[in-house]
Amino acid sequence: MRGYGSVSAAAVASRLGSIRVGKASVIQSVATLAVVIFAVSTPGFLSETSIRSLLTTVSFVGCVAVGMTFITLSGNIMSFSIGASMSATTIVFMVSVGLGLIPALVLAFLFCAALNGVQGWLVGVFRANPIIISMAAYSMIIGSAIYITGGSGVYPLTDRADILTRNLGPIPGPLAAFLLVALIGQLILSFTRFGRNIYLVGANPHAAKAAGIEPWRTVMWAYVAAGLFTAVSAVLVAARYRSGDMEHGIGYEYHAISAVLVGGTAIQGGEGSVLRTLVGTFFIALMQGLLILRGFGIEMQYLLIGLMVLGAIMLQWKGRT
Amino acid sequence: MSRHLRALMADRTVRSFAVLVLIIIVLGISDGGHGRVLTVNTTYDVLQQFATIGPVALALGLSMMVGEFDLSVGGILSLAGCVAVLTGSGSPVAGLLLAVCVGGLAGLAQGSIMTWLNLSSIGVTLGGLLTFGGLSYFLTRNTTIGYDRLDVALGVNAPLLGIFSVRSLTTIFLFLVAAFVVSWTRFGRDLLAVGSDRRAATIVGIRVNRILIAVFMISGSLTAIGGGLLSYGLAAASPTALADTLVPGAAAAILGGVSLAGGKGRPIGIAGGVLVLSMLSSGLTAIGMPPFAHWIVTAAVLFAVAILDSEELNRRVYSIRCALGKRSDLPPSGGSPILTEPQGDQ
Repeated sequence: MRGYGSVSAAAVASRLGSIRVGKASVIQSVATLAVVIFAVSTPGFLSETSIRSLLTTVSFVGCVAVGMTFITLSGNIMSFSIGASMSATTIVFMVSVGLGLIPALVLAFLFCAALNGVQGWLVGVFRANPIIISMAAYSMIIGSAIYITGGSGVYPLTDRADILTRNLGPIPGPLAAFLLVALIGQLILSFTRFGRNIYLVGANPHAAKAAGIEPWRTVMWAYVAAGLFTAVSAVLVAARYRSGDMEHGIGYEYHAISAVLVGGTAIQGGEGSVLRTLVGTFFIALMQGLLILRGFGIEMQYLLIGLMVLGAIMLQWKGRT
Repeated sequence: MSRHLRALMADRTVRSFAVLVLIIIVLGISDGGHGRVLTVNTTYDVLQQFATIGPVALALGLSMMVGEFDLSVGGILSLAGCVAVLTGSGSPVAGLLLAVCVGGLAGLAQGSIMTWLNLSSIGVTLGGLLTFGGLSYFLTRNTTIGYDRLDVALGVNAPLLGIFSVRSLTTIFLFLVAAFVVSWTRFGRDLLAVGSDRRAATIVGIRVNRILIAVFMISGSLTAIGGGLLSYGLAAASPTALADTLVPGAAAAILGGVSLAGGKGRPIGIAGGVLVLSMLSSGLTAIGMPPFAHWIVTAAVLFAVAILDSEELNRRVYSIRCALGKRSDLPPSGGSPILTEPQGDQ
């Protein structure tokens, strides 16, 4: 592929346009429209505080979900360790923030990328089962964290990381970061050789190999990318709560894969996009916000997210063979 | 090593028990003669752990034997625990039966969706995991609900004959039944046939979809028995307390010789895998190791089995040997460095 600088506007439009074509997209559009109408008719939904708090919390999950999209697209279903690796990264960031903000950021990103990259290497090189590898990594991270920290969090007395909690004018800082992360993720998938290889390897690793792609490299770098996107969420969460703790990322793997699947990315890989994950993330957040404002408890949210994921999976039916 | 011994070690079922003996010896040696490893108390502990992980491992193992993967066991375990505690204050047996019905129905629903819409089991059961987990949050209103029958709570865990309890005896019984069914019934033979080659199974006239649905129903029911008894024993139903059984359950199943590709494994082997993990966990505590050791050991087991079971291990080992200059003329069986790897369906 050559000459991305001179790629025509029509080609860009066709590339981005092809993203949303899927058999589930009509049902999704109708569902989104219904939810938006329901949202606007709910008293208090448009009040600024409720929307702001919703957008902030959703952005933390969103960054991880963008990372998870890369893993799912590359044909490796999901990572059970991504929440634990996010928690571990908050600890690394908060321990090293004494060295200064920039070194701490570099360390946090390197740590999270390496943590996921090793898993990607194992999954790619040996074609080992990604579910089992990520469960092993989950146990390893939890065990090591208990060994190193003794099970307690890290609370450094410094305000060096507070700059990460700032807002960009009216836009909450985490939301801006999430949108940037999603933009970068989508650009990588749509316009780089690496992104195209992810789709190929995810759709059919044997065909990709026959076409001269080394699937293990693509898979490993997909995991590294997932680690980097997860690190964004980790440093933002750590800065917001001024702590590094294994509690921070609990359940993030499930929230992230929910967003990916509700967005309509195929669970078997090779079909989907970061834009779909963006839609999925906001769709789930919108439903959560509505339930809160209509007076339902957290238990209703869990149930509804589960049903939405089940519904999204069922929309991926392949027809009878 | 004699040929018989080698054949015995190659048997995946025997392997887990060999590992168990090895672990007992290693723990005994590192205990340094304090006699803390094989006591009545430790054995009781091991069997209690066995009763906690066992049903989940058996459920996951059966789904893996048929070539699928039932992620929903974590959700069904919580849901069954909540159902049993909420309905079992009058008659504990009725509560447990209702929980088992709920678990079976959950499996039936997932199995039907999967076969009807031709979907992957991982996707559907991931949705199931979140839905059933959410349902247990919904039933308990996101709090821990106490169980008012303390006699039952003490009864299911009370030591019988020194080392057993109602919970562990039930689990042992479940494993024996499963072993009988898999080895000596038509259903068991069909199950392994579907797991090893689905197309061939269809051609010889096995109703593949029925087998799949039945396996997921059994998986749900087994998990529900485990979850119900566990919640009775804890005298509480909590949507979060039982979440951490999926990982040890999967570790035990594959340690017990169940292949991730399907078609291989025996319930007795799974029992061996569960015993290995329980022995490690209780034994490490008994000889005074801190709690993180259990996590690290589980991780090591999972990494080792995932890599040993992986598709490309032979090929990678061969290419490393080539790079080191110890190349033999023939590649090892199971992988060729020149041809692309053979695919399952020709």
